[in-house]
Amino acid sequence: MKPLLEVDGVRAGYGAINVLWDVSLTVAAGETTVIVGPNGAGKTTLLRALMGLVPVQGGDVRLDGASIRNRRTWDSVADGLVMIPEGRMIFPDMSVEDNLMMGAFPRKCRKGWKANLEMVFDLFPRLKERRGQLAGTLSGGEAQMLAMGRGLMEQPRICLIDEPSLGLAPVVVDEIFRILARLKAEGLTIVLVEQNTNRALKIADQVYLMQSGRVALSERGERVDLDRLHALYFAHEAAE
Amino acid sequence: MLELTLQALFSGLLAGGYYATVAVGLALVFGTMRVINLAHGELVLLAAYIAYAGESRYGLNPVLCIPFALVVVCASAAIVYALLARIEQDREMNSLILTFGLGVILTNLILMTWAADIHSTTNAWMLDSVVLADTLFAMRSEVVFFVAGLALMAAVHLWLSRSWQGRAVRALSSNRNAAKLMGVDPSRTEVLSFLVAGALSTFAGIAIYTGKTIYPALGHVMTVKAFIITVLAGMGSIPGVLIGAIMIGVIESFTVTYAAASLQELAGMVLFLVVLFVAPSGLFGGKKALPR
Repeated sequence: MKPLLEVDGVRAGYGAINVLWDVSLTVAAGETTVIVGPNGAGKTTLLRALMGLVPVQGGDVRLDGASIRNRRTWDSVADGLVMIPEGRMIFPDMSVEDNLMMGAFPRKCRKGWKANLEMVFDLFPRLKERRGQLAGTLSGGEAQMLAMGRGLMEQPRICLIDEPSLGLAPVVVDEIFRILARLKAEGLTIVLVEQNTNRALKIADQVYLMQSGRVALSERGERVDLDRLHALYFAHEAAE
Repeated sequence: MLELTLQALFSGLLAGGYYATVAVGLALVFGTMRVINLAHGELVLLAAYIAYAGESRYGLNPVLCIPFALVVVCASAAIVYALLARIEQDREMNSLILTFGLGVILTNLILMTWAADIHSTTNAWMLDSVVLADTLFAMRSEVVFFVAGLALMAAVHLWLSRSWQGRAVRALSSNRNAAKLMGVDPSRTEVLSFLVAGALSTFAGIAIYTGKTIYPALGHVMTVKAFIITVLAGMGSIPGVLIGAIMIGVIESFTVTYAAASLQELAGMVLFLVVLFVAPSGLFGGKKALPR
C-alpha cells in the first residue's frame, strides 16, 4: 500500500542552526507511527517542518504522493494534515469553547462544527464543564485535552501529536493514552511524538527512534525490543 | 460649579466615543501584526479632510462623504499594510520608522492639498445644539456620533467574539503559530484587521470633522491619543478601550474647563504616566492580546 505521508531525506533547522539531518520515514494510512527519542533529537522540529512552520532545506515531504515541502501551513491543514501541538500552544486569552471553535476554522470543517463540538465534549467531558472559562486558567492536563479537542475539530486525516504526556500527572497521562487508543481504533492515522516510550509503544504500529536529528532505528511496533531501544535511546554517542 | 463639572464630564464622555473607535483600530492592527501603526491618526485625518473637501467644494453633507472616504482610507490602509509586509528583518523597529514616515508624508500631502488652516463643518443641522436635562449642552453631531460610535464598537465586539474571521483575528494575536495550525492565513487576517481599522478611522474622521476642528497636525495627536488609550486599557477588551477612551476624554475636558485648553494633551500624558506607574499592565489586566 502506498504510504499516506512520506518524509524523504529531510534536512531542516532554525536559520543557521541545523536540527534535522537526512530524516526519512513513512506513515501508512490508518496506522499509528510513534517517534521516540531523547530531548533535542529533533522530534518536534520534524513535526514543525512537516507543517511548514520550520523551513525544509533539503529532501522532500509527500502527502498522498504529492510534494508538500515548504507548503504554507494553512494549505496543508485544509488537506487534513493536522498538528496537535503541546498544551501550552492553546489560545490562553480565549474561552475553551472559542479555542475549540478555532479548530473548525478550515472552511470544510465549519459546516459540521456543532456535531464535532459534541463529539469532542463527549471525548473530554471536562472541557464541556469549562467551556466558558478562559483557556489560560486551565490546568496542564486540561490544556492538553483542549489542544487535542481543538485538533480533532479540524477533522484530521493525519494527526501529528507532539508530546501529549509532557509534564502531566500519571492519572492524566492514562486518560490521554486511553483517548489515543480510542482514536486509533476509530481508524485515525496518528504520528505520535513521545518521550514516554513504554506507553507509546503499546499503541504503536511502527516505531522510529530519533537521535541528534537522525533516524537511529526503524522497527514494526510488535517487534521492538524495549531493552535494545532503551540502550540506543540513552547511548547517545554509540548511536552516531 | 456643579453644573460646570457635569458639563465637563458630559463633553468628555462624548469625546471618548470617537477616541475609542480610533484606539480600537490601532489595537486591532497591533494585535494581529505586532506593529504600532504610527500613521493611524493620519488615516483618521484623511477621512476628515475628505469630508471637508466634499462639503466645501460640492456642498455635500459630511455623512454622505463616508462611502468615498471609506474607499480612500481603506485603500490607504491596505497600502500601509502592503509596505509593512515587505519588511523582512527587525519588523518591530523598522515598522515604527516606516509608519512614522508614512504619517509624515500623509500629513504633508494634506498640508499641500488643503493648507494649514483650521476647518470644521458648516452644516447647520450638525452644529445645532442639543440640551439634555436642561443643563448639559452638546452639538447635535457630538451626540449622533457618540451613539453611532457605541453601536460601531458593539458591532466590532460582536464580530470579534462571534464570527469566524473575528475569532481568527483574536487567535492570531494570541498565538501566531497555533493560529496557522488552525488553518488561518496570517496575511489575509492582517489585511482584514487593517481594513476594519480603516473603516473605524473613517468613522472617527467624520466624527472629528463634524464635532471638533481639524488641522494637518491633528493626525499625529490622534495616533498618540489612541496609543495612550490602548495601553491604558491594557489592550485587553473592547469595553476596556471604551472606558480608557472616556477617561482620556473626561480628563481632557476637565483640563480645558478648569485649567487651560493648551494643557489638554499634557493632561492625557500625565494620566498615562500615573497609570503606568500604578498598574504597568494597564487598567484592565495583563491580557496582552487585543479587544475581545
